[in-house]
Amino acid sequence: MKTPSPGIMAAGLIGLTGIILVSIGAPSSRKAPAPISETSEPAPPTSVSARGFSLASTSVDLPVDDATYPDGPHADVINANCTSCHSASMALTQPALSVDQWKATVTKMREVYKAPVAEKDVDAIVAYLIAMPSQKAAPATGKAQDPDPKVAPDVSGGTG
Amino acid sequence: MYNFDAGLASETSRRRFLRHAALGTAGLAAAPALAQQLVDLKLPGGNAERPMTSAFPGKGSMILQRVHPPLLETPMDVFDKSVFTPNDQFFVRWHWADIPTSIDVETFRLNVFGHVNRPLSISLAQLLRLPRVEMAAVNQCSGNSRGLFQPRVAGAQWGNGAMGNAKWLGVRLRDVLDLAGVKTGAVQVRFGALDQPVVAGAPDFEKALDIDHARDGEVMIAFGMNGEQLPLLNGFPCRLIVPGWYSTYWVKMLNSIEVLPGPDDQYWMAKAYKIPATPGANVAPGARDFPTVPINRMIPRSWMTSLPDGQTIAYEASIPVGGIAMGGDCGVAKVDVSSDGGRTWYRTTLGADEGRYSFRRWDGRVPLRRGANPIMVRCWNTNGVAQPMKPIWNPGGFMRGNIETTTIIAA
Repeated sequence: MKTPSPGIMAAGLIGLTGIILVSIGAPSSRKAPAPISETSEPAPPTSVSARGFSLASTSVDLPVDDATYPDGPHADVINANCTSCHSASMALTQPALSVDQWKATVTKMREVYKAPVAEKDVDAIVAYLIAMPSQKAAPATGKAQDPDPKVAPDVSGGTG
Repeated sequence: MYNFDAGLASETSRRRFLRHAALGTAGLAAAPALAQQLVDLKLPGGNAERPMTSAFPGKGSMILQRVHPPLLETPMDVFDKSVFTPNDQFFVRWHWADIPTSIDVETFRLNVFGHVNRPLSISLAQLLRLPRVEMAAVNQCSGNSRGLFQPRVAGAQWGNGAMGNAKWLGVRLRDVLDLAGVKTGAVQVRFGALDQPVVAGAPDFEKALDIDHARDGEVMIAFGMNGEQLPLLNGFPCRLIVPGWYSTYWVKMLNSIEVLPGPDDQYWMAKAYKIPATPGANVAPGARDFPTVPINRMIPRSWMTSLPDGQTIAYEASIPVGGIAMGGDCGVAKVDVSSDGGRTWYRTTLGADEGRYSFRRWDGRVPLRRGANPIMVRCWNTNGVAQPMKPIWNPGGFMRGNIETTTIIAA
């Protein structure tokens, strides 16, 4: 792990000062003091506390997934349509599913979850999905397990 | 004048801040760190290898199911170390990718509105001043173990690690509802959160409980998890705790509590997370057009955690085995273990009782034969419900609860 830069340490010091001042205030409703420098250092985390428990403001970076769908039929179409809402791994880790199950899944993404997928792209996306190496095993069942999302309860397991 | 307590608190906060600053740097370099070693979840039919990752903020080594939005699974060996799951290895599951990455504890508000006399906008400082409760409770994904269903079903392909147990510290939902004054005729309470769908028009993730359930004094709004604030990915600054119920109801980053004069008929209650209205949520594979109900109470489960599945050991006449059990919507009454395919069962000793919604440790001893030994664990809960031998099936891959088998090879 890198040693915190002087800037981060300075911000930490500002945070420490701010937190002590806030902690001294009786019901911790007092605002942290304005930063003493006018540089663009990250703001120190504020905190609230009462009855022996504190909550500190939190800021994180989530990992960015730049993985794409590997080569396959219409890989360009699925990469253009199916990477912004979820990682490609969501499809790549699925077990062998039937054509009907994959169609129902893509339909649910479009119609229920409002994925901006053009209707003309659906067949190409399904063609990619059923050609994935993970789909070579026999499909889980010969029947569609996913009812039409427009008319039946959604029990397709896209959740949980 | 130096205030000792304040000094101590600020030291803790400072360390927390520096840790976050460091994690911020790590996040930028996350992509190369994502694929480390692979773990085999041994799902029937294959496609079961997943990378391990330590690239997520506030999280240690986790099984990576999906980066975006995050699905992180707890490795089973974590459950062998304690009945309480460490915050940094507690499973993570988000529906929508628009997750706030920055929460300001001074400006955050929890809003209570709808069928109430006094709509409230509660600050965290106010929440911290309400009467406190603490409870140990298992948080288990509705689809935990979905990857073990046969025939396999679509959805997040979890092994057994989409679950965790923590000591939750917070306030009773009932107390908050009473402050707002629930009006006569209230039927359900709907819970919403800060995360949002990425596309306009998609259904925001909201869940509802019946008003009597919401007011039962057990449902909590938690801001503490195993003595610390919640990791952001587990719902900082506060989340709903619904003891004994599946975690779909445990709304993370809870900021909206809406009392309804009728049942919640929106997507996440009316259409999603529905199970067959049959005993054990079981239907024949491929069945459709069966009546459904929203998933609800959990059922007993248990696992052997002292050795990993498939482990080869030197032959001994008998070996100690141990693991965890949960009663589901009540406590653990007893746990039995078998090494001969369920013909002979041996009683185990239960560990400390941390509360009826908690995991409970069990330890016992089974005889071994040379070769493969299928070691089975069966939990009976305090309602007299035992885990069945036969797996259920439903198209959502929800509510697996049959006796699990860990195979140990004695060479």
